[in-house]
Amino acid sequence: MLDIYFVQQIINGLSIGLVYALMAIGFTLIFGVLNVVNFAHGEVYTVGAFVGLLLITWVAPPLLVVVLAALAVGAVTGVGLERIAFKPFRRFRDEASLRSRAMREATLLSSLAASIVAREVMTLVFGAHMQTIPQAYLLQRPIAIGPLSITNGDVVIFGASLAMLAALQFMLFRTRIGLSIRAVSNSPMGARFVGIDTDRAIIATFAIGSMLGAAAGILVGLYDGTITPQMGFAPGIKAFVAMVMGGLSSIPGAVICALILGVAESVTTDFLASGWKDLVAYAFLIVTLVFFPQGIFGVGRERA
Amino acid sequence: MTILKLEDVDVRMGAQQVLRGITLDVGEKAVVTVIGSNGVGKTTLMRTISGIYRCTAGSITFLDQPITNLKSHRIVRQGLVQAPEGRMIFGPMTVRENLVLGAISRPAAEVSRQLEHVLSLFPLLGDRLRQKAGSLSGGEQQMLCIGRALMAKPRLLLLDEPSLGLAPLMVQSIFDLIGEIRSQGTAILLVEQNARAALRISDYAYVMEGGRIVLEGPADELSADDRVQSAYLGGKAH
Repeated sequence: MLDIYFVQQIINGLSIGLVYALMAIGFTLIFGVLNVVNFAHGEVYTVGAFVGLLLITWVAPPLLVVVLAALAVGAVTGVGLERIAFKPFRRFRDEASLRSRAMREATLLSSLAASIVAREVMTLVFGAHMQTIPQAYLLQRPIAIGPLSITNGDVVIFGASLAMLAALQFMLFRTRIGLSIRAVSNSPMGARFVGIDTDRAIIATFAIGSMLGAAAGILVGLYDGTITPQMGFAPGIKAFVAMVMGGLSSIPGAVICALILGVAESVTTDFLASGWKDLVAYAFLIVTLVFFPQGIFGVGRERA
Repeated sequence: MTILKLEDVDVRMGAQQVLRGITLDVGEKAVVTVIGSNGVGKTTLMRTISGIYRCTAGSITFLDQPITNLKSHRIVRQGLVQAPEGRMIFGPMTVRENLVLGAISRPAAEVSRQLEHVLSLFPLLGDRLRQKAGSLSGGEQQMLCIGRALMAKPRLLLLDEPSLGLAPLMVQSIFDLIGEIRSQGTAILLVEQNARAALRISDYAYVMEGGRIVLEGPADELSADDRVQSAYLGGKAH
């Protein structure tokens, strides 16, 4: 018979996995249009959490407003990040410079620099200690479903993540800006020939990816009950691993791999001390790179 | 009336000068062709007109507006649209999505009307709207590429090697199509390896060598020119 504790671990894992998925989508979207990894993505997540916390302590609005504010600030942060750390290294005159190796290496370092600056500034302003979430906003209230006991946080994360995934899907397939983003991902040159403003599509990509990242940050902050300036680092790594496993530019691939990763981490604590949990992601990364260099869902995109 | 005018356009890439002093006119509703062998700069010329490459000197005017070094999406918005060499369709996206993207420079309200118009020219694409563009045959992809460009309602259509790599029957239908597009009032600037077929449907032609224009004239006169005959048409025409 199925062990209740085990089922519960899987549910926890799916919640965590959905959070990784929200973050991994940001990586994947940005990698799609520019072939670069945004190393400041974890800090967008942290920014989302702190914005939520500030709002909660100052205004104490309903949870929905907190999440919407995180989405808005996430969008602004993403656009600012693109302008500061990516745009200066992009000269849009031919395809070579849109996705050149030089640009990839430059933005790798510039986004890393942006992430360090952002983290240190948040540490200066808020202190390195853990910020605690007011009781009323904690998403840890248990809900019993038969013998299972989940929390309202699981419900909120499931609901919010699925709503955001659906909105993303609608945006990418039904709106002009979404079609433009997909077109730029597929062929930046072709996109310019049809008259897409590639610069605008890239900004939109950063805005959307960062919205999801920031929302993930506040959701996890409320779920875990603590917020720190370093909180974005670990989930950033996990989401990065999910993106690589998913084949770098496949959104469904990244989401599925993020869920696998979340569940695997959660179930691992059944067998090992929870300190070993973070090892799971690295093990997955190594296995993927050795045995599936194109990613599990990769389509063999060139990485020149 | 001239709609596109290039004056003394130079393009330099690194140390290499790829285009030298190109001066070229396209008249309203005209078909103008540029012939020349591989690597003389024809595609560079086309990409420069579309704003993909920068001019290092000279000027480009379209419908009396300067478009020199304007961003490519602004040039498309003015009605100068290119079906590029290599087609550059969006393979993982559906045929419909490709066509809808072609009209991205137009108000959203016009898209369905344009789609209807383009599908009337390419009934074959109408049956494939939900198919992935990458799964089409080479000829169908070329049709999609031209159809996508027409979605933007161009005043001037640039066609870069539309017949490259196509079966002879398909080549013929592409050239028929060019005639039809022109008859609907769109001017065409054509770059072609297939010089004979290109000259037959053109009003005026330019011959490029080594990044310059070395010869120009009405297409029928150029077809009769001895140098053109021997270099590009493989001897006397029949």
